[in-house]
Amino acid sequence: MELSQFLQNVLNGLAIGSVYAIFALGYTLVFSILGIINFAHGAVFTLGAYFTYTLVVGQFENNGLLKGINLFPNGSPLSGNPAVFALATLIGAVVAGLVAVLIERLAFRPMRARGAEPLLALVSSLGVALVIVNLIQLLVGAEIYNFPSDAYGQVQPALSFHIGDRVVIVRTVQLIIFAVSLVMLAVLGYVIGRTKVGKALRAVAENPGTASLLGISVDRFILITFFLSGFLGGLAGTLVGTAFGVAGPYFGVTYGLKGLAVIVLGGLGSIPGAVVGGLVIGLAEAFVPAQYSAYKDAVAFALLFVILLVRPQGLLGRAQIQKV
Amino acid sequence: MSGFLEQYGFLIVTMVQAGLLGLSLYFPLQAGQLSLASPGFYALGGYVAAIMLTNPAFSGLRDTLGNGMFPLTWLVAALLCGLLGLFVGVPALRLRGIYLALATIAFVEILRVVSLNLAVTGGAIGIFGIPQAFGFQDRWQYLWLFGPLLLLTLLFARQLERSRVGRAFRAIREDELAADAMGVPPTRYKVLAFVIGAVLAGIVGAMSAPFLNTWNAKQGTFDASIAILAFVLIGGSRNIWGPVVGGALLTAIPEVLRFLADWRLIINGLVLVVASLYLPQGIVGALQGVRRPPPPRRPPSVPAVVEAPGGGA
Amino acid sequence: MRRLALTVMLGLLAGSQAEKVQVPVPIGIALAQTGNVALLGQEQVIGARLAEKHINAHGGIGGTPIKLVFQDAAGDENSAINAFQNLITKADVVAIVGPTLSQQAFAADPIADRAKVPVIGPSNTAKGIPQIGDYIARVSAPVAVVAPNAIKQALKLDPKIKKAAVLYAQNDAFSVSETGTFQEAAKAQGLNIATVQKFQTTDTDFTTQVTAVLNSGADLVIISGLAADGGNLVKQLRQLGYKGLIVGGNGLNTSNIFPVCQQYCDGVIIAQAYSPAQPGAANQLFVKEYRSQYKKDPPQFAAQAYAGVQVIADALKVLDRQKKLSQWDLNDLRAALNKQILAGKYNTPLGEVRFDKEGEVLQKDFYVAQIKMKDAKNGTFVYLK
Repeated sequence: MELSQFLQNVLNGLAIGSVYAIFALGYTLVFSILGIINFAHGAVFTLGAYFTYTLVVGQFENNGLLKGINLFPNGSPLSGNPAVFALATLIGAVVAGLVAVLIERLAFRPMRARGAEPLLALVSSLGVALVIVNLIQLLVGAEIYNFPSDAYGQVQPALSFHIGDRVVIVRTVQLIIFAVSLVMLAVLGYVIGRTKVGKALRAVAENPGTASLLGISVDRFILITFFLSGFLGGLAGTLVGTAFGVAGPYFGVTYGLKGLAVIVLGGLGSIPGAVVGGLVIGLAEAFVPAQYSAYKDAVAFALLFVILLVRPQGLLGRAQIQKV
Repeated sequence: MSGFLEQYGFLIVTMVQAGLLGLSLYFPLQAGQLSLASPGFYALGGYVAAIMLTNPAFSGLRDTLGNGMFPLTWLVAALLCGLLGLFVGVPALRLRGIYLALATIAFVEILRVVSLNLAVTGGAIGIFGIPQAFGFQDRWQYLWLFGPLLLLTLLFARQLERSRVGRAFRAIREDELAADAMGVPPTRYKVLAFVIGAVLAGIVGAMSAPFLNTWNAKQGTFDASIAILAFVLIGGSRNIWGPVVGGALLTAIPEVLRFLADWRLIINGLVLVVASLYLPQGIVGALQGVRRPPPPRRPPSVPAVVEAPGGGA
Repeated sequence: MRRLALTVMLGLLAGSQAEKVQVPVPIGIALAQTGNVALLGQEQVIGARLAEKHINAHGGIGGTPIKLVFQDAAGDENSAINAFQNLITKADVVAIVGPTLSQQAFAADPIADRAKVPVIGPSNTAKGIPQIGDYIARVSAPVAVVAPNAIKQALKLDPKIKKAAVLYAQNDAFSVSETGTFQEAAKAQGLNIATVQKFQTTDTDFTTQVTAVLNSGADLVIISGLAADGGNLVKQLRQLGYKGLIVGGNGLNTSNIFPVCQQYCDGVIIAQAYSPAQPGAANQLFVKEYRSQYKKDPPQFAAQAYAGVQVIADALKVLDRQKKLSQWDLNDLRAALNKQILAGKYNTPLGEVRFDKEGEVLQKDFYVAQIKMKDAKNGTFVYLK
């Protein structure tokens, strides 16, 4: 393979991979603290994008209960330059985090209180996802919405450099997503590793019973976990929306399945693992030869199957000792 | 009466179908294995039947056998799914808990992508124009196929529970290490349970292909895996009637709620949430009441599902 | 016990008595109102509703109004079958417009065919749909008849084009057949096909395909796909530096690509099975009604659904003149309606439309348009002569 082709594949892989990574970070957080897979994450991801859209554009099309509504006929105060767009994104992410907290309170906490089987939480989260996605459609229709194309300011849409007589290119928005995923990872790593809150979260993840004996309010820290997970999900949703458009209420839910492969490959419960898993899968997909491109979607799952047989704890997970 | 069957015949048959698919998850669960592979085998069984019933390569066979072709498709589907179940099960069943579930999810997805791209499976459009089993015209007539299959499966499940194999399953489910120490070879029985589930799902698929007139890759998806899991959990995972009741109810609800128009799927989602909250033992479990004293309350959110990986012991 | 037997017998008798056609005349609509194809379904619903409003405002069927009965067919085969059964046995419709997807049609249409209820597919484009049965027809043209014209228009705009890059969604049956027609047409026009790239309708990132296009030196790009993927492909082609002309197939003939490719949609040439600029009276009325309510041009899916309802209504009008609809026996009407649908000639927003004896649509007019973006959100399809 030529150098330019190789480099292009690497760039493509990192680009696709960072989208997976950014989705998986919030996904794996709940798993690492609570041991459950939260299918509502894809819906919260979608909500984040829609909330930010409402703040930045606020104009809805011809379907849904909110049809025809234009919140800002003269343009939104939160659009026009990257700083206010970032603010709108953060607000949208905070609202998404609050929705995640609501979900925890209404759907997950009562189940914990009754000592219900953990798998039922899976079914419950699925129900929640169904409710949210259909509620979005009921309110604003199934149309494709998008953010203003100058959301990040007047940056060049793509960067290119020449290798020999070929050109290697990457879209700026993908670089932004990659950068943000690393920042998110760093911040999360700092919070979990170096702060008191993080220590409490790790204690809860390790053994909730002991943690509560040590005076840690388990319920409160689970709430914090869900808020963080929803915040990250909402933030990710907006970012991915700026790259590819908000293609309807199901646009986040479709990442849910591949997200599973990502977090398992990286290591269930490992936060850096979510990013590593995402990037590895992205790279694997980018290097699939053109004649097999139809099977690209199966690559992530073939990798998942293999890693489960060979190293089930994933690339960065810790091997768990079997408790007798 | 005929109006009722005409209108609800399809729904009733799909309710029975859902119960059968729930049972296909129940069998591995009896041996403590959370397998979400049923949709994969269901899709494979359906493709086998669809291909045998429409592909020109089999036209000679179709002409010779006539209606006998249909039972042949069930047999071939059962065999192929059993073999594939063996092939996939032996390596995969070294995994425990959620890792096994994830491996089966991966299996279903890989199967789906492959079937989306082969010419023999009709690619993205799938196979259509599948002839009707035994010349059935109305959808409710398929009850003659699915009904007996359900009864046979329930009988089989009950007999299995009482047999030595059933006791071995229970032992493995309760404590695999202890069972192994007592001389019950876990892998053999786990694979058996898995293969039983696979064969059942395959037969259901083969029966369903003429029922739906068409077959495509959308019949075997991750969403179906989770839906079937919901059947078993909400119906009750400790009793053979649980998956049947759960499957029938959860299939009927979105249809019965049609009068809610735009709110239909939202209410469906709420039903799932509420049922998970208030029926932790499933519907059948709740109906059975407190026959046994409730198990000691576990500390909240112990990830009981995240168990150690691999064989080892 | 005896009372029970009596009730059952009476029920059976009532059921077996020949049913008359209800008034207002019920027409079934089984489209994707929920699920991930709702994007298409919701446009079809709007088109159908506009048709109902228009028909009833102009006297209905010889004085009798029509009533559309909606049953959500979602995006899967089971829901489509349930929707159809509901419409056929509970709502006693005279005909059905739907379902949205070809795969749903393969599952549900045979049910209607066996029940002898006419079905008009508004958006099913796969091969083999009208052949499902005598009662199945469609108004959605399966063939990219207009492909050669689209390429001719591109060459008119830039006669120096030599190399074409072809991209298509390999998991969409229409795109797969459309790309075949495009490639043949390109070769017939003397162009060299520099590269053929595949993608999935679910893809969002196309950098691999775009870099292949750029490295091939193509000066014309031909895309066969749907709105979200096609739109993203166009946007990424432009952002990553492709400067030549782009031709989009019929799947991109929707304003749904505007929010996706935004200002980058400008200049894309589209092969259309429907154009708001079609000058026929039926279309201009439809466009006017749509614009007054929704402030933009009607999309193809709405026009096709409208045409489906219109075809049924026009055929009903012919039968009504023979005998008042309320006098008809339901089963007789369904059979006669089916025959009449296939025999008639219709002036719909799609232009003049007829059916062959299998129910395949024979559409006269196809169009080529070029997108003109006013700003990042609003654009129009400018009809190219």
